[in-house]
Amino acid sequence: MSSSSTPIRRTLMRMIFLSSGAVLAVTTLAFCTYEFLTFRQSSVQQLQILSRAIASNSTASLAFDNPEDAVGVLTAFKADPHIIAAALYDADGKVFATYPQGLAASRFPARPGTGYSFTRAGLTGFQPVAEGSERLGMLFVESDLNAMYARFGLYGLIVLLVSGLSLSLAFLISRKLQYRLLQPILALADTTRAVSERHDYTVRASRTGAYEFDLFTDTFNQMLTQIQRSEGNLHAQLGRLGLLQHITRATGERQDLASIFRVVLGTLEENLPIDFGCFLLHDAAAQSLTVSALGNTGRDFGGRLGLAELLEVPIDQNGLSRCIAGQLVYEPDALQVAFPFPQRLAKAGLRSVVFAPLIVENQVFGILVCARCAENAYSSGECEFLKQLSEHVALASHQGRLYGALQQAYDDLRQSQHTVMQQERLRALGQMASGIAHDINNAISPVSLYTESLLEREPNLSERTRSYLTTIQRAIEDVARTVARMREFYREREAQLTLERVEINRAVRQVVELTRPRWSDLPQQRGLMVDLQTELKDPLPDIMGAEHEIRDALTNLIFNAVDAMPAGGRLSVRTRGTLDANGADRVMIEVSDTGVGMDEDTRRRCLEPFYTTKGERGTGLGLAMVYGMIQRHSAELEIESAAGQGTTVRLSFPAHTSSVVSTDCAARPAMTNRRLRILLVDDDPLLIKSLQDTLQEDGHLITVTAGGQAGIDAFTAAQREDSFDIVITDLGMPHVDGRKVASSVKALSPATPVVLLTGWGQRLIAENDTPSHVDKVLAKPPRLHELRAALAELVS
Amino acid sequence: MAALTSTLRLLLLGALALAAFLRSADGAESPTESQVEAVFVFNFSHFVEWPSQTFASPSEPFTIGIFGTDPFGARLDEAVRGEEINGHPLVVRRFSRLVEVHNCQILFIDRSEAASIGQILAALHGRGTLTVSQAAAAAEHGIMIQFTTENSRIRLRINVESARAAGLTISSKLLRPAEIVAVGGKE
Repeated sequence: MSSSSTPIRRTLMRMIFLSSGAVLAVTTLAFCTYEFLTFRQSSVQQLQILSRAIASNSTASLAFDNPEDAVGVLTAFKADPHIIAAALYDADGKVFATYPQGLAASRFPARPGTGYSFTRAGLTGFQPVAEGSERLGMLFVESDLNAMYARFGLYGLIVLLVSGLSLSLAFLISRKLQYRLLQPILALADTTRAVSERHDYTVRASRTGAYEFDLFTDTFNQMLTQIQRSEGNLHAQLGRLGLLQHITRATGERQDLASIFRVVLGTLEENLPIDFGCFLLHDAAAQSLTVSALGNTGRDFGGRLGLAELLEVPIDQNGLSRCIAGQLVYEPDALQVAFPFPQRLAKAGLRSVVFAPLIVENQVFGILVCARCAENAYSSGECEFLKQLSEHVALASHQGRLYGALQQAYDDLRQSQHTVMQQERLRALGQMASGIAHDINNAISPVSLYTESLLEREPNLSERTRSYLTTIQRAIEDVARTVARMREFYREREAQLTLERVEINRAVRQVVELTRPRWSDLPQQRGLMVDLQTELKDPLPDIMGAEHEIRDALTNLIFNAVDAMPAGGRLSVRTRGTLDANGADRVMIEVSDTGVGMDEDTRRRCLEPFYTTKGERGTGLGLAMVYGMIQRHSAELEIESAAGQGTTVRLSFPAHTSSVVSTDCAARPAMTNRRLRILLVDDDPLLIKSLQDTLQEDGHLITVTAGGQAGIDAFTAAQREDSFDIVITDLGMPHVDGRKVASSVKALSPATPVVLLTGWGQRLIAENDTPSHVDKVLAKPPRLHELRAALAELVS
Repeated sequence: MAALTSTLRLLLLGALALAAFLRSADGAESPTESQVEAVFVFNFSHFVEWPSQTFASPSEPFTIGIFGTDPFGARLDEAVRGEEINGHPLVVRRFSRLVEVHNCQILFIDRSEAASIGQILAALHGRGTLTVSQAAAAAEHGIMIQFTTENSRIRLRINVESARAAGLTISSKLLRPAEIVAVGGKE
């Protein structure tokens, strides 16, 4: 800053110049006026004196009429060069003599006047000439003003000189004084400018030791100090506010507690900063604290502290317990706190610690621990900040939890909805399956009956024929069971499931054999090789279960394994005995492939009905059926798989420990020896023909009617002469169904037993829904031995 | 051109001569010698200091005496009428005999009494009387102030010694234009 441009300096200079100039001007003016007036006066006086002297000397000339002498006297005016004209008048007013001699008449008044006066040209005066009291004449004198002008010229010069000198002096003195006076002001102004332009509150005005300015300077500096402090506080506050907002935003984007804690600790370590930070979760019931999260630098300290995530920390009497009570606790020096946790921090070099409680709904669910190496390292502003932060974090984690709960509820709801939809679909499918099952059961009934009849009665069957027939019979039974299960596979538990002893190894071998075309023949056609290995532990305890379901499940598993190896591979089926946690025996079946495996998502969802990775080829029901079977058998299912790592599925069944012999062998009923009159009512000619054939071969007398009404008519007709011993009727028939037939029969002859054959038979049996008027319900396809047993039971 | 100039000069000279003639012919208008002298006598009272013992009392008149023939007539009386000198009223007295002359501050001695000047002066010796006369060489004879005519103007001749001897002080103003005469001859 150049001082010459400082307005105050210029202004001050101007003021000084103006005031001193004004004083000078007034003084000069007064002086000049005074001089003017006195000079006029003195001029008049001088002229008067001169005139008087001349006049006095002229008296004799006038008195004694001597003009020559008068001229001589007037010549004395020569002494004053400014006297330019003079004239002496006699007592009569006539001009007596002039000066200079021969003065033109125009230069003096024709008649004398009186007194002295200034005219434009100069000073004129009339001086009476008298001797004693005798008035002798009058003297006229005229003086020019050159003397005055000369004098004023001189005065002007002096005024100029004096003014110049005084103003220069004033300038020098004021400059000197100004410097002393202005220096502190300018220094203050400089400081003020520095402060206002750069917002630099660290500058200080320097003391100059001048007058009261030091007081100003000190006050100003104090003010600056205060502003600086306030500014610093404000900055810190703003910074923390920004940090709080940053953290709040960051936590708002996160829902899980661990992620919230991590981001809070990371931000605090980086930005507050702190040297160590961790979150402790409080378990109110167990009265314990668990390290939930450690910051990045916290992990380093954590090592020294002996703290690790999931480690429990005891609640101390001081510090932590107060914090658990909901207070923010600040230990300026952890070393001075006798309790273990602060001591532990202090030993790791962390001296100042803040414990901030995380409170939700008046419950402290955790503690935020922030520590710094230095003592007394937290300001009250930072403590307040941490308190607010902990509230935000508590809120955020609470919201995270609520969000999690909401998400869970939503997922559950969606799952429920999905399940309901699924069940609805399955129910529809089941209904459809029932119809199909009925038709299939009808269709396979003759096969079943004839096969059984052939195996039983045909004496000369070759071994091969017998073997084939047996296989047919088993297949038919499987078909019947499959069909019966079609609409029921989705059921969680089938109350009617009849459990029987199952020899797992046998079932495995059967399945392997049954599925050979799939794992051996089809791949070979495509030039692939699936190497199937079985490792069957023998002996192996039996289990209680439905063998066909187990076979179906294994079949499904093998199909899946083959599908998972589109380029071929090794397929292993193993069985072994294991022990569960309680020491009970279990039987384990393991199907393992070296195929593509499943990723996490697929693995999680693979048991869901209709979930498939096979596109159009898959139904999504395979593993769901396996799972259904597992549930029905109280078994366990374990799937081990990873993408590209192949899949291993383990089925674990509880072993059957009692040694009850198979019901299959034990409960075979004796067939009746009586020849019975049997009325068969059915609308399916193939079925009725096969039934008629097989029962006739047993020696019974069979009457066949097609349809319900025909059956009732036949029974009514027979009542009169040769009544039937038993009525076997189909349930589902057009117009008049089996129930109707049964009620009609019972109405006519209550003692006559009625056997109901039904494609839905198994379901009727399962629901214990035997219709009234029906004595026995048999499922289609009817087994010969079941029929025989029923006849024997009902007619005996 | 030269002829014309000479003619003009002659005409101018002629005019001037005519003017001078006309002026001298105006005798009746201009004051006569005696008139002027009467005023002069009166004026002397202003330029001369008399000794303090001149007057016996303050009311004593300042007397101007005329000895011999009175050349002024009433003019002097007119000149002094109502005048006072230092509180003393001015009176004019005419004397024909020497014995009559006393207590007279100014005594005009007419030239008709020139012969008796010596006598008069002797009689006045020590009386403090200013003696004035128009008689020729009166100053040389001891008259204090003598009128003389010079270029038709009245001039004064003053015998300072006589005045001093009589105890009178004549103002230097009066002395300056006057001719100072010593007793017994011109200076």
